[in-house]
Amino acid sequence: MKKTIFAGVLSVSALAFAGCGSEDAANTAGEDGNFEPSKTIEMVAPAGSGGGWDTTAREVARVFGETEIIDENMTVINREGGGGAIGWAYVHGKEGDAHSMFVASPPLMFVPLNGQSEHGHEDFTPLANMIADYGAFAVREDSEFEDLNDLFDQMKDDPESITVIGTSAPGSMDHMQFVRIAKAAGVDPTKIKYVSDQEGGALTAVLNGSVDVFSTGVGETIEQVRAGNIKVLGVTAEERMEGEVLSEFPTAIEQGIDESFVNWRGFFGPPGMDQAAVDYYEAKFQELSESEEFAEVREKYGWNEMYMGSEEYSEFLETEKEEIASLLEEIGLGQ
Amino acid sequence: MDAFQGLLTGFQVALSLEGIMFVLIGVVVGTLIGMMPGLGPISAIAIMIPITYGMDPAPALVMMAGVYYGAVFGGSTSSILLNAPGISGTVATAFDGYPMAQQGKAGKALAIAAISSFVGGTVSVVMLMLLAPALSSVAISFGPPAYFALMFMGLTAISSLSEGSTIKAMIAAVAGFMVVTIGIDPQTGTQRFTFGNVNLFDGFDFLIIALGLFAVAEVCMLILNRKNRSLSDDQKLGSLKLSKADLKEMSGPVSRQSFVGFLLGVLPGAGATIASFISYIFEKRIAKNPEEFGKGSIKGLAAPESSNNAATSGAFVPLLSLGIPGSGTTAVMLGAFLVLGVQPGPLLMTDRPEIFWGIIASMYLGNVFLLILNLPLIPYLAKILSIPRPLLISLVIMFSLIGVYSISFNVFDLYMLLVFGALGFAMRIFSFPAPPFILAFILGGMMEQAFRQSMTISNGSLSIFVDSPLPLSLLLVALISLLVPAFLKWRSNRLAYKQR
Repeated sequence: MKKTIFAGVLSVSALAFAGCGSEDAANTAGEDGNFEPSKTIEMVAPAGSGGGWDTTAREVARVFGETEIIDENMTVINREGGGGAIGWAYVHGKEGDAHSMFVASPPLMFVPLNGQSEHGHEDFTPLANMIADYGAFAVREDSEFEDLNDLFDQMKDDPESITVIGTSAPGSMDHMQFVRIAKAAGVDPTKIKYVSDQEGGALTAVLNGSVDVFSTGVGETIEQVRAGNIKVLGVTAEERMEGEVLSEFPTAIEQGIDESFVNWRGFFGPPGMDQAAVDYYEAKFQELSESEEFAEVREKYGWNEMYMGSEEYSEFLETEKEEIASLLEEIGLGQ
Repeated sequence: MDAFQGLLTGFQVALSLEGIMFVLIGVVVGTLIGMMPGLGPISAIAIMIPITYGMDPAPALVMMAGVYYGAVFGGSTSSILLNAPGISGTVATAFDGYPMAQQGKAGKALAIAAISSFVGGTVSVVMLMLLAPALSSVAISFGPPAYFALMFMGLTAISSLSEGSTIKAMIAAVAGFMVVTIGIDPQTGTQRFTFGNVNLFDGFDFLIIALGLFAVAEVCMLILNRKNRSLSDDQKLGSLKLSKADLKEMSGPVSRQSFVGFLLGVLPGAGATIASFISYIFEKRIAKNPEEFGKGSIKGLAAPESSNNAATSGAFVPLLSLGIPGSGTTAVMLGAFLVLGVQPGPLLMTDRPEIFWGIIASMYLGNVFLLILNLPLIPYLAKILSIPRPLLISLVIMFSLIGVYSISFNVFDLYMLLVFGALGFAMRIFSFPAPPFILAFILGGMMEQAFRQSMTISNGSLSIFVDSPLPLSLLLVALISLLVPAFLKWRSNRLAYKQR
C-alpha cells in the first residue's frame, strides 16, 4: 500500500530501452573528441511517480526539451524499490552508457552507509548538482520551546523527555540532519529518541502532541506555519532563505550552533562514462541551471539554486560522506 | 452561511461546461483504471500531473479527484466478476461479490455495488461539505497509541472472517503477520527476512498478495474443477433488478457503513482498504445471519462497497483542511496541487474557495455520473463471464501479471505473484481461509509500527495505551467484541447442558 505505483505509458518505453540498452553502451564520442547524444537519453528516477526525485527528473527533462538546450529526447523512467537501491543497481549495470543518468540526493549516501545498497555515490559518475533544499525542525505552535537552544538545553538535561519524528528511517535524512545539528549544540547524539513514520502520520503526531519535534524539509512546514499550527525553531541552511515565510525561519548558525545540512539534488551517470560525455552534460546542466525557465521551476517548488560541476560535486560528496559516516558510527548505526 | 455561499461558488465551478467535461473525463478514466487489476488511481493521477501543467487549477483538480473516486467505484467490477480485485480498496468486495456472481447473480451484484458506492460516495460528500473544518481535529487526534488500539480492534475480527475452524483462521492470520515483517524495518532500518535480496527490501506490495491469494488461486481452482460444469458455463448475468426485499436488506449496511467508512477515511493512514474490511466485519458481527457472509450475502457486498467510496471522500478532509495526505493517492494529489500552484491546507478554504468548494461540488456531480455510467454498462461488463472458460482463465492470469508488473516494473514481483498464487491454492485445498491472512497483512504492518513508535515515545512503558481516553476506549471495544461472543457461547452451552 505504501508503495506508490506505476509509470504507465512509460512501461512501453522501459521495454523499448531494455532492448536497446546494450546496443552501443560504448560512448558515441565524435572524432574530434566532442560528445553529442545520438539517441534518446534515459533519465531514471529511482522511486515511484510523484515524489521528489520523480518531480525533479520530470521537470529537468521537460525544461531541457522546451528550451532545446538538449535536442535529443529525454524520457523519465521510474525504477522503484529499496529506497533507491533497485534503480541504482539498474543504472550501475549500464557501465559506460552515455545516454543514461539518474537523479539523486543524500539518500544515495545514507542508504549504502546503512548497509541497504551495494552502490553508493562513488560507484557512479557525478555530472552536476542542480538544487539545494534544507531541513527544518518544527514544534507545535503552543510549545514551550522558542528556539533551538531551548530545545537542546532540555535535551541535555533530560534526553528521554523529547521525541523527534521524521518520515525517513533511522540513519537516513530526517534523523541524521537533526542528529548533526543537535550534536553541534552539545546534545549527546546517542540519546536522541527518533521515531519514523512512513505512512504520512508524522505531522499529525506533532500536531496532536504525541511527539515533540518534527524533522523534515523546509517546504513541508510553510503552510502549517502560515496557518499558525506549528513554529519552526530552526533550519539547516547556512544563511537565511528568501521567500515570504521562509525568510522568517532562523538558521541554526544564527542561533550559535555552527552546523548546517544541505539536501542536495543532482544527476549522476553510470560508472565509466566517457569524459567527453561528462563535459557535455556538465555544460548543459549549467546552462539549464542559469536559464530563466528553470528559475521558474525552482520558484514553483521552493528549491534553491546550487549548481556544482562534476569535479566540485565529487569533492563535496566525499566530505559529506565522511562526516555522515562518522556520525552514524557514533550513534551506533551504519556498517 | 459561509459554507452555503462557498458551495454556490463551488457549483459554479463544477457546473460550468469546463467543469462538467473534466468531471466526466475524470470519472470515466477512473472507472476504467479501477477495473484493471494493478493499475490504480495513484498511477493515473501521477500521469496526469504533467498533462495538466499550465491548466486552470480548479478543473484540473476536479478531474484528478474524479479519477480517484472513479477508480474506487470501478474497482469493484473485477472483484465481483473475476475475484481479481481492481484496486486494494475492493478486496473485501470480492468476499461476497464473487460468490454472488458464481451463483448467476452477477448483474445483481454489480447493481448492488454501484448503488452502495453511489450512496456511500454521496453521503460522505455531504459530510465532507458540512464537517470538513470540524473533522480536521478528529483527523489529528489519532497518535501512535490510538492507531495501535484501532488496528488491534480490527484484528479482533479475525475469528469472524473465518468459515469453520478458528484455529485455521488464526494460522492464516499469523502467516499474514509474518509476511508483513519482510523488508527493511522502518523503526531501526534493519533488514528482516530479506536474505540480502534487494527486491525484498520494501516488502511485498499489497496487490501482489491480493491478486495471488484471490485471482491466481481462483484460477487454479477453476482448472482443478474443470469437470464441474456448473461453475462458469451456466453463468449468466441474472436479473439486474433489485427487489424491494433486496433494497431493504442493503439499506441497513449502506446507511451505517457510509458513516463508518467516511470516519475511517478521515484518519491519515487508514483509507479505503482498511475501511472496507472494518465495515465488512462490523456488519458480520451485528448480522442476524452471519453464516451467509462469504457465500454471497447482499449485506456483505453492500457494506464494503459503501464504505470504501465513503472513505475516499473522507480522505479529502485531512488533505483539503490540513494539507496532510493520509494515503498514497492523496500524497500524489498533494503533489498535483503544488504543481498547479495551490497549497492545500488550513488556509485553502479562505484563500482559494473556488478550489475547495469546487472539488466538493464536483463530487456530487461525479457520483451521479458514475451511477449513470455504470448501471447501463452492467450487462456488457457481465458478458465477461460468458467468455469461454479457457480464455477467461488466460485473461485473468494475463491481467494479474500485467497489473503486478506495472506496480514497479520488476520481474521478481511476478515470481512472487506465482508464489502467493500457489500459497492461496494450497490454502484453498486445505481449507485455510484467505481473508484473515489479508487482514493481518494490512493491519499488522501499521499495528507494529504504531506499537513501536508508542514504546519509543513512552520509554518502554505500556501505560501509554491506557493513559489517554481514545486508545483506552478503543481497546475496551476490542475487549468487549472478543468477550461477548465467547460469553454468549458459554451461556448457551450451559443452558443446553442444564436442559439435558
